[in-house]
Amino acid sequence: MDLGLITQAFPLTAIVCLVYCATRFELPEKIVRSALVMFGKTILFLGVAWLLLLWVSG
Amino acid sequence: MCAESASVWAVFGGQRISMSDSRVKLRQPWLAAFLAFLLPGLGHWYQGRRFKAAIFSAGILVLFGWGQVLGEGQATYSRLVLRTSVDSPQFSSQSPATKASYGFWAQVLVGLPAFPALLQEARFNTVDNSVGFLDAEIRSDFVGALIETTRQGDLRTPVTGTLQVTPTRPEGSRTVQGEFAAVTVDGGTASYRLGGEIQLGRAVFGSPRRSIECRLVDEAGNFLSARIEGTISRSFFNWYMAPLDSQELDRLHGSLSRQYDVAAVLTWIAGLLNLMAIWDAAQGPAYGYGDESRREGDGSGSGGDGSGGGDGDGARAPASV
Repeated sequence: MDLGLITQAFPLTAIVCLVYCATRFELPEKIVRSALVMFGKTILFLGVAWLLLLWVSG
Repeated sequence: MCAESASVWAVFGGQRISMSDSRVKLRQPWLAAFLAFLLPGLGHWYQGRRFKAAIFSAGILVLFGWGQVLGEGQATYSRLVLRTSVDSPQFSSQSPATKASYGFWAQVLVGLPAFPALLQEARFNTVDNSVGFLDAEIRSDFVGALIETTRQGDLRTPVTGTLQVTPTRPEGSRTVQGEFAAVTVDGGTASYRLGGEIQLGRAVFGSPRRSIECRLVDEAGNFLSARIEGTISRSFFNWYMAPLDSQELDRLHGSLSRQYDVAAVLTWIAGLLNLMAIWDAAQGPAYGYGDESRREGDGSGSGGDGSGGGDGDGARAPASV
């Protein structure tokens, strides 16, 4: 398991969420708030998917 | 559609709906879109949308640069050189057959940072790539093998070292003379004279290493039954984002493993994110200004041009028809 590559998912997700939400809204506080929510949901999904794959492959 | 304000068109129930917000000043939307394509964030800076300009430029450029670093500068290239024979395409004096790199279609959306690949593609096809001609002295490190031809066949000895070759005529020539200071894997050192015709890899190619083959000669200049085959350094200007072949891709996958795939994906994502940023520069934010629900709660709404408030995770509701 390459944890180095996995940890890169965090900054990648953060950038994708921030840029994506910046194209959805104009108000800075709305952009940041939306990006935080999206980041949380995405990391949660990735974490669950990772644990599921770990369990299946274990 | 008003050029001065953000407008989003959508179709709901067969009707075309305009959702715009006059607070978003797009200035010349298509100029802004072009600037956003040239450099992430530049279009938004031109429009005075500095916060978004900072997000787009920092986010997208960091992502693209991050991919380039992970891929050791070789994650972006516009053409893949096809191998049509057992010989390396580096030794092809004519332009070898190539095919498009599909990933580059995403990478090029980053704009200027990916443009060197197009320049290198042009240089790959136009720069004098005479593979059997040396026009100036070469001094470089060398990695490869010393090959002695015996009755039993070729005997290959891995060697590294430093190499210096000069053309036999000042204006350049096919024949060269020089020296090779070799270091074997067990640490032994030896010095050899080089001479005869040289085979050099193409000047412009997507590999930091340039292929070279040259024969060994004795002090009188007579050919020995031995030669060196290997690679020397290629200048950054001649390999960065230049077309490469499957052999070089194999080497990258061998040395970087999944890191190279991650690098390529990061640069693709950067380009695709900038596509959304370009669209935002031309048309404004997709879901609206961001305070619609609050304004509607105040009873002010967003007028006949209000857009859906959204909840931050992708929902959009039409405000007016």
